[in-house]
Amino acid sequence: MTVERTPSQTVGPFFHEALRWKDGARASFGEAGERVILVGRLIDGAGEPVADALVETWQLAPSGSAPETAASATKPAGFARVETARDGTFRIETLMPGGSAPHLEVAIQARGLLKALRTRAYLAPEPAVRADPGLAALAGSPRLLTLVAKREDGGLFRWDVRLQGDGETVFFAA
Amino acid sequence: MNDLSRPGDIDPPYLYPDYRSTRLRAPREALVELPKGALDFPAARVPAGFVHGRDSDLTLQGASAPLGEKMVLSGRLLDESARPVRRSLVEIWQANAAGRYDHPGDTHDAPLDPNFTGIGRVLTDDDGGYRFVTIKPGAYPWQNHAFAWRPQHIHFSMLGNAPIQRLVTQMYFPGDPLLAIDPVYNSVPDEKARARMIASLALETGIEGIALGYRFDIVLAGAHATPRER
Repeated sequence: MTVERTPSQTVGPFFHEALRWKDGARASFGEAGERVILVGRLIDGAGEPVADALVETWQLAPSGSAPETAASATKPAGFARVETARDGTFRIETLMPGGSAPHLEVAIQARGLLKALRTRAYLAPEPAVRADPGLAALAGSPRLLTLVAKREDGGLFRWDVRLQGDGETVFFAA
Repeated sequence: MNDLSRPGDIDPPYLYPDYRSTRLRAPREALVELPKGALDFPAARVPAGFVHGRDSDLTLQGASAPLGEKMVLSGRLLDESARPVRRSLVEIWQANAAGRYDHPGDTHDAPLDPNFTGIGRVLTDDDGGYRFVTIKPGAYPWQNHAFAWRPQHIHFSMLGNAPIQRLVTQMYFPGDPLLAIDPVYNSVPDEKARARMIASLALETGIEGIALGYRFDIVLAGAHATPRER
C-alpha cells in the first residue's frame, strides 16, 4: 500500500522561537573527534543577505558510522540546526565526519523557499570531493566548487551559499 | 529555471512569482541529482526527554487559558508505504486567535495574548500518532499583494527519521474562503495534493463540551531508511 506525500510549504518568517533548540548549533556525538566549525553566509539573487533562514545539517560520526544518540543525550546526535543572523551568517560546531570525502548534508528553509533547498558542504580538498562517486553528475563541472568549504586556521571552514544568480550554489533534487 | 511545475508534482516549484519572496530566492540552475537513496539513511533518534508532556498542550502555557476556539489537533505521521513514522519529532507554531504571532518580527496591529505562545512539540507514538491541544489561529494580512490575507493555518515541522523525510508544511482549515487567494497554498500545482494540507473536522476526536476536534495526517517522503550499513 502506498500513500501520497504531504506537500511542502514555506517555513515563513516566524519560526525562530518554535524551532530554536538549546545548543542546537552544536552537533553532539557519542564519540570523540576533530572539532570543526562551519561558518558561512547566505546570499539571495540580489546579493542581499538571507537574514531569516534555518540551516540544518546531518552527517556521519567521526568513525564513519551513523551517529547514535547516547542514553544521556539531550538532543539527537549528529544533527545541527541554526538560524541565520541579520547579516545572513551562520555558524555550526561539529566534529569532522568520517569517510573519504567528509561532508555535511544541508537543508535550508526560509521565507520565500516553498520547499527546502538541499545541498552539501564538503570539508575536504577539491580532489577528494571530485573523487566522490556520489557527485558523478557534477564530473568536470566548475559548479562542484560551490560545495567545497575553504579550510582556514583552527578547524574553521568557510562556506557561502548563493541561492540564485552568479556563482549559484549547487542544490540537489531530493 | 525551476519555474515550471510538471503535472503530478507534489511539492511547489521554487519560483512561484505570485509569492513575491520566491523571486530572489529560487535557484535558477537545474537541480542536480544525487544517487538514489543518498538522503534515505537513518538519522539519530530524538531522546524521549527532549519533549515534555506539557509541550503538546498550547492552552496550558500561561497563567490562564488563551483566547480563542479550543481545539484538539491529532493525526498520524506516515511514510509513503503507509508505515507509521515512530518516535519522531513534530514541532508546530501558529498565530493567536487574533492573527498575531508572538514573534518580534510580527508587526500586525492585533493584540498579543499573554497566555499563548503558539509553540508546541511532540514525539509521535509507536503508531505514528500525535496529539496537540491548541486554539484555532486567526487569519492575518501580509505584504505580498494588495488586500493579501493568509488563511488560518498552523505551521508544521517534521524532523523525520531520515534526512529525506525532513518536511516543513502548513495545515489549513476546511472551507476557508481565503484559500482561494493564497499564493502559498496555491503554489502546490496539484489540486489533490493541495487538499492533503487541509485538516478535517472530526468532532469526536475533540473534547465534549470543551474543544473541537481536527484530524491531520502527514505523509513523509522515503520509505527505505535501512538499518545501519557502515
